[in-house]
Amino acid sequence: MSSKYILIVDDDPDLVETVAMMLEAKGFEVGKAYDGIEGEEAIKKRRPDVLILDVMMPRKNGYELCKELKSNKWTNEIPIILLTAVGEAVPTTSYSHAEGMAVEAEDFIPKPVDAATLVEAVLRLL
Amino acid sequence: MEKFDRIRIGGLKVLEEGACVASSSPLADHRLGPAVCAPLARARINLSFLTHVAGDREVLCTASDTGEAALALLKTHADPAGSLALKPGTAILAVFPHDKRPEVIGTFIKSLARTPVVLHGLASSPSAITAVLSSSRIKPAVERLFEHFYFPGFASPEEFFSAQAPPKEYLEKVVATYQEKVNKVYWIIPQSDLDLWGMSIASADILAGFAAALMEMGQLGLIIPFLVALPGLGSQEFILSFSTARRQPGGDDHGSEVRRILRNHLPEIRPMRLTPVAGIFLHGPHFGDRYGIAHSLVAALDQAHISLLALSCTISSISLIIRQHELAAAQVILGNTFAAPVEAG
Repeated sequence: MSSKYILIVDDDPDLVETVAMMLEAKGFEVGKAYDGIEGEEAIKKRRPDVLILDVMMPRKNGYELCKELKSNKWTNEIPIILLTAVGEAVPTTSYSHAEGMAVEAEDFIPKPVDAATLVEAVLRLL
Repeated sequence: MEKFDRIRIGGLKVLEEGACVASSSPLADHRLGPAVCAPLARARINLSFLTHVAGDREVLCTASDTGEAALALLKTHADPAGSLALKPGTAILAVFPHDKRPEVIGTFIKSLARTPVVLHGLASSPSAITAVLSSSRIKPAVERLFEHFYFPGFASPEEFFSAQAPPKEYLEKVVATYQEKVNKVYWIIPQSDLDLWGMSIASADILAGFAAALMEMGQLGLIIPFLVALPGLGSQEFILSFSTARRQPGGDDHGSEVRRILRNHLPEIRPMRLTPVAGIFLHGPHFGDRYGIAHSLVAALDQAHISLLALSCTISSISLIIRQHELAAAQVILGNTFAAPVEAG
């Protein structure tokens, strides 16, 4: 069975490393990108089976990239998990919860991420 | 211009608008918790960077507007024989991922040495190697990094800088207030059978020699899971502390090889080796956005009478080195202190 390809896009390199380790331990192939523009380039090179996308990133934030992917017929079926610090745990950021809710991601997981929750979310979307 | 074989690496990051406080207390041990972390936590001061070596000194960074307050707090708890200094206008420069490869860490240090810059601190996280510099030296340091590394996201230093959000806007975006009752950590990963090396070097001028030593260690298949460097106060001296292990666990003892390499490249230095030690890597407690995380960790270890040999908090993770026989107890303590899955060692 060919392994599923998961792309992680986050400007926190420690998070990218951690999530990659978690998913590789489950047998997934993992791609890494460190901001929205790099994420976009990575998706052009290889379509991920699931995209894990941080919200707060320089150059292009996760909401922007998510909206673009969902409005493009070539990419709109890529399942997206948005990692957001705009959940209950984090009430004060410049990103509004409403903005996040208007984005059609398949799942929203608040940071800090629970490892098991993230892996479960990926498995659910495959 | 000299041409280098550039190492392809994921990315680089600059965190501007910081202030750096260095503290040294050669006569007082076990003061990191009560004299440094606890008062900062009580004052709700976020730390963006913290390094510590046992019984000697710390370097920490805060946002620029809390640097003075951090210094004042540390002064009230300071050991009379110790020293404290504030360096405003600092920034944290990071490249990632290093994958524990000595050649990546060594190339980063070589690049800084060639810029040149005054290094206020150096630390590894599980994925990144970071340095604290004066903000005014960030531009030449980044330009030099582009000579040694290839970053797929940016063709040039100009492209990198033009992509950076204005610092204030960026800070507004990332500063958040977490309200968990128990701090969540993505993963706590122990690593046993490490060596911890410590050495005092007379000045940062010979960091290039250390960088060359790291690159030779890379050729031998060694990995560097942990590294910190802390400058002295009122002198040019540096304390370097790093751990080594084989890429594949087991095999022959590599201590003599490391010692030989260090002596080849740094003939004046007498490195000390402590073995066996263990590392614990707390991935992603986001200590920089959550005041008190480092305090929670240090207080928990203090309470359990576990001696912290060295510590680095940088990017979003915490790495600590303890004596190997204390690893099991430390894992239990940290598992009780943080909400996290713990991987068996």
